[in-house]
Amino acid sequence: MPKFTLNGKEIAFEPGETVMQAAWREGIEIPHYCWHPGLSVAANCRMCLVQVESGRQMAMPQLVFDEGKGEYVPATKPKLQPACQLAAADGMVVSSTNEQVKRAHAAVQEFLLLNHPVDCPICDQAGECKLQDYYYEHQGTLKRKLTEPVHKPKGVRFGPTIIYDAERCIMCTRCIRFCDEVAKDHVLDMRERGNKNEIVLAPGRKLDHEYTLMTEHVCPVGALTSRDFRFKARVWFLKSGQSICTGCATGCNTHVDYDPRYGKVYRLRPRDNADVNQFWMCDDGMMTYTRQHTNRLLTPTAGRGDERTPVGEDEALDLAADKLRSVDVSKLAVVLSAQHSTEDNLALGKLAAALGADRLYLAALGDWEGDEILRSDDQNPNRAGATRAVSGAGLKSVEDLLADVQSGAVEGVLALGWATAEKLEELRPLTALDAVVSLSSHVAALPAVACVAIPVADTFEVGGSFVNEKGIAQAFESVLPLPAGVEPAWKTIAALARKLGKDLGFEDLRGLRQGLLDAAEAAQ
Amino acid sequence: MPERCQYYRVILGELARIADHFTSNGASAMELGAFTPFLWLLKVRDWVWDILERETGARMTHSFGRIGGMAAPPTLNFKDDVRRVLPEVHKVVKEAEIMLIRNRIFLDRMQGVGVLTKEHALSYGCTGPMARSTGIPYDVRKDHPYLVYDRFDFDVPVGEDGDNWDRFMVRFEEIRQSVRIIEQAIEQMPDDGPINVDDPRIMLPEKDAVYTTIEATIAHFKLVMEGLRVPKGEVYSFIEGGNGELGFHIVSDGSGTPYRVRVRPPCWYNLAAAHEMLIGGMIADIIPTFGSVNMIGGECDR
Repeated sequence: MPKFTLNGKEIAFEPGETVMQAAWREGIEIPHYCWHPGLSVAANCRMCLVQVESGRQMAMPQLVFDEGKGEYVPATKPKLQPACQLAAADGMVVSSTNEQVKRAHAAVQEFLLLNHPVDCPICDQAGECKLQDYYYEHQGTLKRKLTEPVHKPKGVRFGPTIIYDAERCIMCTRCIRFCDEVAKDHVLDMRERGNKNEIVLAPGRKLDHEYTLMTEHVCPVGALTSRDFRFKARVWFLKSGQSICTGCATGCNTHVDYDPRYGKVYRLRPRDNADVNQFWMCDDGMMTYTRQHTNRLLTPTAGRGDERTPVGEDEALDLAADKLRSVDVSKLAVVLSAQHSTEDNLALGKLAAALGADRLYLAALGDWEGDEILRSDDQNPNRAGATRAVSGAGLKSVEDLLADVQSGAVEGVLALGWATAEKLEELRPLTALDAVVSLSSHVAALPAVACVAIPVADTFEVGGSFVNEKGIAQAFESVLPLPAGVEPAWKTIAALARKLGKDLGFEDLRGLRQGLLDAAEAAQ
Repeated sequence: MPERCQYYRVILGELARIADHFTSNGASAMELGAFTPFLWLLKVRDWVWDILERETGARMTHSFGRIGGMAAPPTLNFKDDVRRVLPEVHKVVKEAEIMLIRNRIFLDRMQGVGVLTKEHALSYGCTGPMARSTGIPYDVRKDHPYLVYDRFDFDVPVGEDGDNWDRFMVRFEEIRQSVRIIEQAIEQMPDDGPINVDDPRIMLPEKDAVYTTIEATIAHFKLVMEGLRVPKGEVYSFIEGGNGELGFHIVSDGSGTPYRVRVRPPCWYNLAAAHEMLIGGMIADIIPTFGSVNMIGGECDR
């Protein structure tokens, strides 16, 4: 393995890697703005300059002020290389911390801040802004320029999701490279030269592809801001949890940023995962967090339509158990959910098996347009997981369920999830039935026609796992506290089972997951 | 820290020490029934507080020191104001002494009362006038000089008997020595030059720069939001406060908020020794003894 030395530490690298890439893999930070591990190299910010101390030294002439003589005299300084562009060589010795490099950092940082607007109090990036961080670490001098900063357009609406501020922009071209290379849509480019530089849209276009929020994500400063997140929260009040996007079967890894004081989620950010989503997420996925706080079902109800009344948790479970007992088990439909975790579906599958019900269906949102970049054709996060949870048993669709209801083959429904149907009208046949029990986190079509609706926890409130379309199982952790009186679906199902006189064999998530492992082994 | 700031801190600190000793001795006398010396000492204390108010904005709760400097530079008339007050201090201290040191009642109630032995003082960790009254010549300004104290010529008054009288007189003598220090500091203090360290990573920048330039805004933002980043490690830093050794033990984990801060308040340890001075005496002796400990609640318990 070829090795080079960075700041005294030996780093092994693959031939063809740059110093920046190798250092990043080792977890060593060389300050940079325009480099990104998922984009091509631009080397325009000049912040990652390092000195190559081995081999023939390149020198640059410069004039240095001589205090003794009182005038400028010729001198040389070593020529520094941008680490993002510098190919690593075996035996090379590189320093990113010596005096020359420190002066370069301070100088580059000073130039970047020269015309920067005094926007920190109103800029969303404050608290996670590299200009702020690198100023504190590498510059630390006050402004030397006495003339007015250059003014450029501010608050330019690039599209339905993004606002651009040219004064804050440091022209790193990350957004341009992202749109070109990842979103495959050349909609952004740069105009003018020198300090008149500005990012502009292609003529007649808006920034409207499916990954526009990623341009805000890669922007190291507050030049590109998301209209959804703008002015909503300050990032130092937000804590992060690790989760998986519920938008489609790709299962992009996410950071969930929430304010623990209010228990409110403010945004999602992509989490790096080389096997699933690399560094990116699509706009629809980024916006799935809004589902957490809208249309939640939080109290159990009995009765449908005008007769709907709230009931207590225990009463609701009793009612549900009665409804299920009143139906002949061969006519009981159990509906799993492709929106719920594998654990929730596993618990429901176990209950169905314990009751002897073998009419299993899968509720899932309809197909939509995927693409070759990240978005799957299946907009449900866990179709594969729900299928695995009832290993072997066939799962029919909601259309089949409605047909079976109309033909009389099904007289009772126990359904998990809110994704049974898009519109209430589609579920009209179910209103003829007397025993429809819905376990749902959201107010949606099925709970509206249910005789008993019991709330369960949503993805952010409970740990679980999804299986994506490539068969990768990914776990997510609970991020927010459970709302009062709401439990994870697997817990509610176990309680319902106890009301029906069945013990599903697990007390907690660990016991349930052990059952999943056992089922997987049995399937082999 | 710039030199000018070190002199500034010495002068303001010694003025505060003088003010504290006025209060302590005046209150001791008042508690024994001598109200006039109390008001007499408070008169000159108020003139000292006037100077502090002109400099810092507050008579007592100054909050004036900053990491790397002070909150504001000295006022233009600082040296003149201080020079004008110092002879008054001498005069009033002399007059207060005259009122008290030949008074039979005062002597009877202070001499031989509330005796603290040297061994007890050492074992309880007493410092300041309390320890010096028992004969322990420990003064942080002499033994571990800080700021510019090593440039001044001054003595440390030390008692012999460790009774209330020795503590009373040690404090009056300390006032005179503090005046000596202030006179020398006023002479040596540079009249121009920076008061604050010139590093936006430590000192908050000037407000007008914060409002108009991005660099100052960022410096202000980082210092306020994340705190001043101190390198990892721990330090115990201590000075001679009015009551004794005032120390701060700070442990930093490298971030902007300290991992642990523990204050060593001088009068906490002094007060711990108080029962050694009281047990065996009369109930009436509690009054002058407790007064001579000079326990300030805000310092003791924070």
